[in-house]
Amino acid sequence: MILKVAWRNIWRNRIRSMVIIIAIALGLWAGVFASAFVVGMMQEKVESIIRLEMSDFQIHHAEYRDEMDVKMVIENSQQIAEDIREKDGVIGVSQRVLANAMINSASKNGGVQVVGIDPAKEAVVSEIDQYLDTGAYFEGIKRNPIYLSKRVAEEYNLRIRSKVVLTVQDVNREISAASFRVVGIFNTNNGPFDEGRVYVRHEDLEGLVGTHEAHQIATLLNNHDSAESIASQFAAKHPDLEVLPWLDLATGMRLIIEMTDTYTYYIVGIIMLALLFSIVNTMLMAVLERVRELGMLMAVGMNKVRVFAMIMFETVMLALIGGPAGLILSYLSIRYFNHAGINLGTDVYADLGFSSIIYPDLDAGSYLGVSIMVVSMTIIAAIYPAMKALKLKPAEAVRKI
Amino acid sequence: MSNYVIETKGLKKYYQGAVEVHAVDGVDLQIEDDEFTAIVGPSGSGKTTLLNLIGGLDRPTDGEILVNGQDISQLTENQLIDFRLKHIGFVFQSYNLIPVLTAKENTEFIMLMQKTPKAEREERVLALLEEVGLGDKLNSRPTQLSGGQQQRVAVARALASKPDFVLADEPTANLDSHTAANLLDLMAQLNKEEGVTFIFSTHDQRVIDRARRVITLEDGKIVSDIRQ
Repeated sequence: MILKVAWRNIWRNRIRSMVIIIAIALGLWAGVFASAFVVGMMQEKVESIIRLEMSDFQIHHAEYRDEMDVKMVIENSQQIAEDIREKDGVIGVSQRVLANAMINSASKNGGVQVVGIDPAKEAVVSEIDQYLDTGAYFEGIKRNPIYLSKRVAEEYNLRIRSKVVLTVQDVNREISAASFRVVGIFNTNNGPFDEGRVYVRHEDLEGLVGTHEAHQIATLLNNHDSAESIASQFAAKHPDLEVLPWLDLATGMRLIIEMTDTYTYYIVGIIMLALLFSIVNTMLMAVLERVRELGMLMAVGMNKVRVFAMIMFETVMLALIGGPAGLILSYLSIRYFNHAGINLGTDVYADLGFSSIIYPDLDAGSYLGVSIMVVSMTIIAAIYPAMKALKLKPAEAVRKI
Repeated sequence: MSNYVIETKGLKKYYQGAVEVHAVDGVDLQIEDDEFTAIVGPSGSGKTTLLNLIGGLDRPTDGEILVNGQDISQLTENQLIDFRLKHIGFVFQSYNLIPVLTAKENTEFIMLMQKTPKAEREERVLALLEEVGLGDKLNSRPTQLSGGQQQRVAVARALASKPDFVLADEPTANLDSHTAANLLDLMAQLNKEEGVTFIFSTHDQRVIDRARRVITLEDGKIVSDIRQ
């Protein structure tokens, strides 16, 4: 009977009950969607970091990353790369020769980072060929082709077949220069990555810096989660080299992921807090306008447990209607935007290395987590109004107008 | 062991404030089984406070309230709630039915809390509503009933728990004279034929005229106690 009374009570004031049901549904949707948005954004970033910037793990000379000295090459880099290629789960391995260079175009001089690659192998690892904007990916120019970002092209006023001179310091500390011709221009939309980045063939750069070994071996795996374990296997095998998985290479990334998680908790927390107060307010109104009726129930012998349970049931029933509605709304909207994407319509995110199109995504566990939070919040919100009802004095309450 | 349904000894209820109010001030009262008693007096004389004390809705400042020999002023709050459920029927001035329940459900509600078996419940609810003249309004909600009909449901509800006595706080205050007369007829009939003890607080002369005993309060004290 108490359940029946509670159920009918919530439909006494349909508008108020619908407001609270919609508040619960929207609160849940906002919480779930905010989480999915952040997860989608981070997935894009992580995928971009692994695919484009870091690969799953990289190998360097033990001191290369600190000193950035061209002499600090990986001895037997070819052999090591072959070893990695033979391992299960490896999609591709790219040996890169790295050098900081002065670039001279007809209009401007400046600094760039030159990456010497085997174009075919590099395409497997970083898919840099997929970001081609104009020209071709190392095709059509036989002597000293250079593949550079749109940012560099615009900054140095370069077009396809434009000539540039790269000047580097070789392993003997001598200045060495060569002219290159622009074969292709790429655009990854990742600002920090595109900034001052140019690719040349490794043999062309090796000639300039005077080495036949790579400075970096980048490996792409089919399962990013195994990056740490495979990297540690190679680290054990080559104790004289530095072998680091992507999360240790992108040093700020671990912090960004943790910070983003924290922000998400805060955002969801604020949404829940707003929801909490809206439910407290509505349920308190529902109690206060029924003072006489509640007083009567207590007068005729309804004990406190039953009065408390009745108010709680009313709130939980509202949550049980609003909750699933919010979940369905969340699921459908996330599903839709997971395919359509949300275009933030600004390059600000690209400048920070984030994609400007977000594909929200959320695992089942997070749906459950937010749902539990909303239902718990609803129950917590009901406690105060229910306690308020218990404090009524039946003798006074029955005479309230 | 007394034979009274209700007996109060030196019952006092004082309210503290800027000025101490003696709402009930040393009331000694005995009410026997089958009585049809009106407690009358001007506003502020302490009628409702006395009824609340007898009904276990309020606690006395001093004195004893014995219901069938049991001192209810010593009960804890939870024991009092249980006591009210099992021993006292209430009829309030403003009907105070549960608006979302039908006449039948309102009457049944107390029996449900008493955990009365379903068959007995059904039988008693139908009999009671028939008795109060609402056999054809079982499934009507309070908003679909007139004031008089609602008060009849309230009487049926008060009787549903088979109480030792029924307390009615100004039961006719919101009713027109014709409806009030009908309600009084009903309660008098229940008192006469079924031996239900009724205690009213009222200043409605129609009720006073029908009562077999009239207790008059002034300033919290009994100033007259007349059997008529």
